[in-house]
Amino acid sequence: MEKPSEEQAAAEPADSVGEGGPSSVAGGQAARPKDHMTLLLRLRAQTKQQLLEYKSMVDANEEKTPEEIIPEKQIETKIEDLENEIEEVKVAFEMKNLALDSVLMDNMKHVLKLNKLIMKSQQESWDLEKTLLDVRKKRFELKQASESKLLEIQTEKNKQKDDLDNMENSDKIKALQGNLQMEIQITTVIQHVFQNLILGSKVNWAEDSAFKETVLQLEKNLTMI
Amino acid sequence: MSVLRPQDQLPGLNAATILLVGTDDALLQQLADAMLKEDCASTLKVHLAQSLPLPSNVNRPRIDLIVFVVNLHSKYSLQNVEESLHHVDATFFLGKVGFLATGAGQDNHCSIHRNTVLRLAHTYRSPLFFCDLEVEGFRATMAQRLVRMLQICAGHVPGVSALNLLSLMRSSENPFLEDV
Repeated sequence: MEKPSEEQAAAEPADSVGEGGPSSVAGGQAARPKDHMTLLLRLRAQTKQQLLEYKSMVDANEEKTPEEIIPEKQIETKIEDLENEIEEVKVAFEMKNLALDSVLMDNMKHVLKLNKLIMKSQQESWDLEKTLLDVRKKRFELKQASESKLLEIQTEKNKQKDDLDNMENSDKIKALQGNLQMEIQITTVIQHVFQNLILGSKVNWAEDSAFKETVLQLEKNLTMI
Repeated sequence: MSVLRPQDQLPGLNAATILLVGTDDALLQQLADAMLKEDCASTLKVHLAQSLPLPSNVNRPRIDLIVFVVNLHSKYSLQNVEESLHHVDATFFLGKVGFLATGAGQDNHCSIHRNTVLRLAHTYRSPLFFCDLEVEGFRATMAQRLVRMLQICAGHVPGVSALNLLSLMRSSENPFLEDV
């Protein structure tokens, strides 16, 4: 599916900016030919460079590329080998230049210093990234540990609740409770029997303090204990 | 032309053309303006496009440098760039293509991970720049860099070619890329 693409060429402002340089200098007539000369020399250098690039492209295209399908890993290693080759050729070329021109030594030293600095700061930034990654990993582990702990607490609580419920529902308890109820009823009946005996005998139980205590004790409701 | 080739046309005299491909029109326009403000001895031409392929009916000068702008906040821009990459000839990737990732400053808006663009740039063996195009200062610096790169890719700097620049820029980023 063709995506509609918009295209704007900012050619006009570019032209004025580009040529504004040379033509704005035109203060006097003598300046003009000099600017033309500079422009021509620059154009010459540019055309030379472009010609060099085209020549090298033509030379490169003369090499036949292999037609068989090579797996990606091999292509990667091939590419890296070629890159290394380019690097070696460049280094050799630079060495040759150095041998011919000793003024470049200062620049080379400066370049080496800068390279060292760059590598050092890159190493530092990589270490920082590593520590950041470690901290993140640790945080994640702690989170996981706290999650599992909380889960444990929850299961423990649930188990306790279940145990409690089970205890309440167990049969033994029910049997014991039944027995307890029966005993309470029996004792209540005995209490009432004794009460009625004493009341029926028409004895004045309020006079004797020990007797009074016994009668009042019989009044105690055993189900409230 | 459905596929962009670097040497389809002859170079214009003293002219250098850059093509910015990205979904964020406003950002591209701002970057283009910043680039045109730069001091440059050759005439600059900036072309903006949402995606490739470009319409073939337009008369267009030779494109010297393509910069694919990926906005880390939107997955759509990454998709768009990946699809546009199919319409670029392989010879373009010898130093005439660059990737620009914007929006890395706001980490909570980023839906694309840094590693994705890093891997993309590594696959295509092209340089990757990180620049927050919304910030004026960074944009101006980036525009400067792009103008220098464009001059080299157009062949206006004697002694340095696009491929040369590519291998120069490469050596500082690869050693730690293997561990990522």
